[in-house]
Amino acid sequence: MTTTITRSLPRLSDGIDESLAHAIPEGICRTFRVMPYSYHEGHVLVAAADADDSITEHVVSERLDRPVILVKHTVNEIIEVINEAYPPVEAEVETPEARRARMQMAQMLTRSGLVTSEQLQRAMLEYSRTGDPLGDILVSHESISEDVLVAALSEMHQMQRVGLADFEPDYDISRRLPEPLARRLQAIPVAESDDTLLIAVARPLSADDAADVEEAVGQPIRQLLANRADLDQLIQRVHSSFYADVSTQYLMENYPEQSAHVVFSPVQKAVFIMAAVIIVICAVIWPVGTAIGLVGVASAVYFVVSVYKFRLTLRALGTHLETDVTDEEIAALDERHLPIYTILVPLYKEAGIVPRLVRDINALDYPRTRLDVKLLCEEDDLETIDKIRELALPPHFHLVVVPDSQPKTKPKACNYGLQLSTGAFCVIFDAEDRPDPDQLKKALIAFDAVPDNVVCMQGKLNHFNQDQNMLTSWFANEYSMHFELILPAMGASESPIPLGGTSNHFKTQTLRELGAWDPFNVTEDADLGMRLHREGYRTAMIDSTTLEEANSNVGNWIRQRSRWNKGYFQTWLVHMRHPLQLLRQTGFKGFVSFNLTMGSAFVLLMNPIFWALTTIYVLTQWGFIESIFPSLVFYAASLMLFVGNFIFIYLNVAGSLQRGEFGLTRTAMLSPLYWGLMSYAAWKGFIQLFTNPFYWEKTEHGLDEG
Amino acid sequence: MTTDTTTKIVSNRERLSGIVQAVGRRPADIERRWWESTAVFVIFTVFYAIVGYWLVVQMHVVGFETLDRFDRSLMIFHNEPPKLSSVGFDYPPLSILLVTPFTVIPALARSLIVVPVVSAIFAGLTMMFLNTMMRRAQIVFPLRAAVLATLGLNPLVVMYASIGARNFMWLAFVLAALGALFAWYVTADIRFVMIAGLSYSVAALTGYGSLVWFLISLIMVAAILARLGADGREVEGTTVGFAAPTVYVIALWSAFNLILLSDPFNWVTESSDVASSGGLDDFSFTEILRGTFDLVVYGAPIAIVVLPALIFAGIARRNGFALWLGLMLAVSMLAPGLAVALRVTDSPLLMSNALPILLVSVVGAIWLARSAMSSGFIVAGALAAGLLVSIPWTFSSMSDFKQQSLERAFHDAVSTGDNQEGARTLDGSIVGYDNELDMANYIRDNITDQDSILTDNASTYAVILLTGSPSTFFDRVDQSDGPWGRAARNPAAHVEYMLLSTNTSNDLLSTLYPEAAAGGDRSLEPVYANRRYTLVQVPNGYQFGDDSVRTGVDANGDGVISDDELTLDPDADTSTGTTGSGSTSTDGETEGSPDVQGGYDGIEGEEGSPLTSDADESTDTDSGTSP
Repeated sequence: MTTTITRSLPRLSDGIDESLAHAIPEGICRTFRVMPYSYHEGHVLVAAADADDSITEHVVSERLDRPVILVKHTVNEIIEVINEAYPPVEAEVETPEARRARMQMAQMLTRSGLVTSEQLQRAMLEYSRTGDPLGDILVSHESISEDVLVAALSEMHQMQRVGLADFEPDYDISRRLPEPLARRLQAIPVAESDDTLLIAVARPLSADDAADVEEAVGQPIRQLLANRADLDQLIQRVHSSFYADVSTQYLMENYPEQSAHVVFSPVQKAVFIMAAVIIVICAVIWPVGTAIGLVGVASAVYFVVSVYKFRLTLRALGTHLETDVTDEEIAALDERHLPIYTILVPLYKEAGIVPRLVRDINALDYPRTRLDVKLLCEEDDLETIDKIRELALPPHFHLVVVPDSQPKTKPKACNYGLQLSTGAFCVIFDAEDRPDPDQLKKALIAFDAVPDNVVCMQGKLNHFNQDQNMLTSWFANEYSMHFELILPAMGASESPIPLGGTSNHFKTQTLRELGAWDPFNVTEDADLGMRLHREGYRTAMIDSTTLEEANSNVGNWIRQRSRWNKGYFQTWLVHMRHPLQLLRQTGFKGFVSFNLTMGSAFVLLMNPIFWALTTIYVLTQWGFIESIFPSLVFYAASLMLFVGNFIFIYLNVAGSLQRGEFGLTRTAMLSPLYWGLMSYAAWKGFIQLFTNPFYWEKTEHGLDEG
Repeated sequence: MTTDTTTKIVSNRERLSGIVQAVGRRPADIERRWWESTAVFVIFTVFYAIVGYWLVVQMHVVGFETLDRFDRSLMIFHNEPPKLSSVGFDYPPLSILLVTPFTVIPALARSLIVVPVVSAIFAGLTMMFLNTMMRRAQIVFPLRAAVLATLGLNPLVVMYASIGARNFMWLAFVLAALGALFAWYVTADIRFVMIAGLSYSVAALTGYGSLVWFLISLIMVAAILARLGADGREVEGTTVGFAAPTVYVIALWSAFNLILLSDPFNWVTESSDVASSGGLDDFSFTEILRGTFDLVVYGAPIAIVVLPALIFAGIARRNGFALWLGLMLAVSMLAPGLAVALRVTDSPLLMSNALPILLVSVVGAIWLARSAMSSGFIVAGALAAGLLVSIPWTFSSMSDFKQQSLERAFHDAVSTGDNQEGARTLDGSIVGYDNELDMANYIRDNITDQDSILTDNASTYAVILLTGSPSTFFDRVDQSDGPWGRAARNPAAHVEYMLLSTNTSNDLLSTLYPEAAAGGDRSLEPVYANRRYTLVQVPNGYQFGDDSVRTGVDANGDGVISDDELTLDPDADTSTGTTGSGSTSTDGETEGSPDVQGGYDGIEGEEGSPLTSDADESTDTDSGTSP
């Protein structure tokens, strides 16, 4: 119960009870101008500048565990005690002008009935935490539309508005402002009047920014307020060809040796052809000896790859190798200091998922005013584009239309979106992803906790539809092993990590400097992880999970998996163009780790051959097969058959147990059947490496309705 | 416009909220101390290896079962051709495969230096696991050291840790599993369940008896989880994770038995661990009880105190793990007697059976010390004192414990410092391997050609091991029983020599050539012989009369292979690679000569001499060796 009876009650001047000095967070104290100071007959006395304001009363009483009495005090009295309790940091304290503007905005919107008191209260609370403009907060929560806000700002700042929704730009004029400045300031020339250039802006420019613009365009400017979403679309249209060129060609032109646009380098071609010729000649002259040699090499590859994975798993089992972030650290995060966070979401023919995607991103524990969500659509995917437009999303969602060009791959779309991103950090989520709500904050805290050379935080991936069918359960088993055990162990040992397709958080600037993703590589994530490592950067794991949709359809699953395997082959070929250079850059441990990690794709290729040999031998006792397994090779092969296979099955069990997914252990025991599918997909990907190397086998999402 | 959403996205924290064994919500485990674990391991391993060298190499206290396993292990890499099938089906396979790294260098295997090293390593691991358990039980270092020292000096422990027996091989893995379950109960860390499961799987193929502990542990894991409020999925998933390795290895091993022997449960019915031999005496119920009582009283007297204490703590103080350890201890006490009652052992109530009882008692006492909280040091001190007192008690009983193998030889060797070659065990068997060494030395000095000596390795394995050169021999492992049988019928076409056991009862080759084995075949002149073995030369063109080619086992010992006894088809080519069943004596602590099934060599060991053989003594061999 809250009352505002004030007569004969103690006053601030009587002193502040120490236990109450920090009972209400600083942001709320300053925003609502309140300060609890004393107990009185079971009530908490709270000094308030506006003791009759119902929102203030509600906010204060929610944060104190006793009934509250608001006692009217002067603003100066209250400010003085707030400053004592929370010594002010100059840059963080709201200026009188800003406060006046905020109050003016609030009054304008409430008096006109455009926002309810509940909406205003929530916005005020968020303001007290973040200090972000009240209008932006209201728009981000869809309490008002962007157009309403622009109108209000126009009124407040006495600026003209401009509608850009159907605006057809004059490119000569629009491109006068250099793209980096246009993107940073969210401003673009739209017309010229006499000697003045009319610039559409999202928000009134500061004097310094306005001066920068004038200097850049070489003439006076006049600002026109525009809807942020429309402005953003216009900037994209004006500079789309530039973005498209950069997203496709930057890596290829600046770091050709790191680009997969050439599958086999000339030297690699020569080596592989020579090796093939030598093997064929040997096979003709010494068929058994050659077969023994090949079997021996294959067995050795099996053995070392298996031992490596087993070692990693043992290291991670039951321990926390991820960078740990506690609940307390998250709670203590000052939201006023949170950076803009860009979320890149590539979409292709996934219109049906968009509402769910929006729902899940909005559920993230991060101020929406500091989110920069890029919904990356291909130009020919009109259905998805229309769907996004139809939803009329608030301005922290940005529709990005990637011009139709080859290669039409996810990394190219991400590169395109990255150029438009405004976040100091960025992350990729797939359309169907459901990240842990606190994942962004965890990543930020983790970035602070690790050495500076860690520029990527990989979240764990798993599936929300693991119980849908056997395939999804196997997929969840596999992911549990990979993300709960293997990657954390690789991260802890500072080995190059093949990044997962989503939930990798980057320092945006470093990512740009590296050339971002290779648009020609169909596992651009794994490749990027390696390129980061080669440049001396590191990746760490965070204990936060993103749930994805596991492929529940075998054909769809094989398409996806064949792409992954093709990408692994591509990545291996790219980085092994100069093995010695790779060795020098990554060190011996990194070199071995990279080869053994990529080697798992080759193991998948070999599996069917060995399964066939075993089956044929069991059925026919064919002497030739026996002869190509001399003792030592036979021992190694037997070890892998009877021990290695079980270990891999058990690692799947271990991953699920580690994750606490006990229901999956049964299906883990049947994982050899899953390996059969994996090998089929590996061969498909391997063949495609020669026939259609850059083709992106699209994975259909939304097969689960969960 | 979309609407504001309050969609519930289940975070990791929420998802794990109902899980008993969730990562991140576990009590902290003890700090790892590699140096301490390594120190404990090294100290005990070196100690037992040194004692073992003295016992095995100098005192000649070693079981023939041990020599058989080492020979099979040696054959894996050094036979011609190398044969994995030398492992055979008589022993749990890992009791041989785990020895393989130690027989890679034949000279070391031949010298028998590696024999004590192997058992010492596994005993050292056992001590290391116990030390870690004590650390988890918060027992302070001086008391830990006292417990380890008094247990480590227990004469039963010293003996079996030093003579190459396989007891500690499987016990080490059982202790590792128990230690992991101990840690799991303390920390709720599921990693330990998996470690326990993996340890049991190795233990299962090292000593089949460990399956009993596995089954109890399996039920224990499920029961404890259910009691802690875990849901059905968690109980099921955890038990699947725990049981999967053991179920897999047993299924795999059964499949091998099925494919190669047409009997998936051959390992249950015929192995040296559990097979009921024809020589098993009948025991009355009273005798079984008495035998069980003797095992506990003389072998592991602390169990008399620990068992009731565990049951009391389990019931009165609702200490679940104590109750389960009490059950394990009770089972380890009752298992030897039960095995006799069910006739699934040919080593009835042997003193070696006290070893598991002793170790489980120590584990139980360690748990009691942990449960006693601040009084834990009293429990640990009492444990050390009890173990100290039992050292002379157990040692004195080793000289006359009724059911035993090499305990008396160990006792006498330690008491007198005398070489035990030729000494008799309580059951009348002869200790030592001089005859084998003598024959092996002759062969090494005079015969080097590959596959030049035809022999039944199931009987002559000790000689083969001591030559360090299995490739010299054409044995049943080389090309399986079929080709070997054909060679046995026509040796001149394949070899230059034949090595025969003078005890013909279980040596297929000696059964074919009984006169040659006795040195009395004029066509097959002995080139070297001693009391246990005869090496004969096969002259060019030697023909074994068609009528007299009779292969099989002279099961009734009448010196003639009847039609009923014909078991080895010389034309067969089964490719099973089994090495016969010549060594089916005991559960891992055998003694006496290689011809174990028919009995031990009853002849006092004397150096043999070239070109001589004593047919009468050979007869004695057959008639006077049954234990």
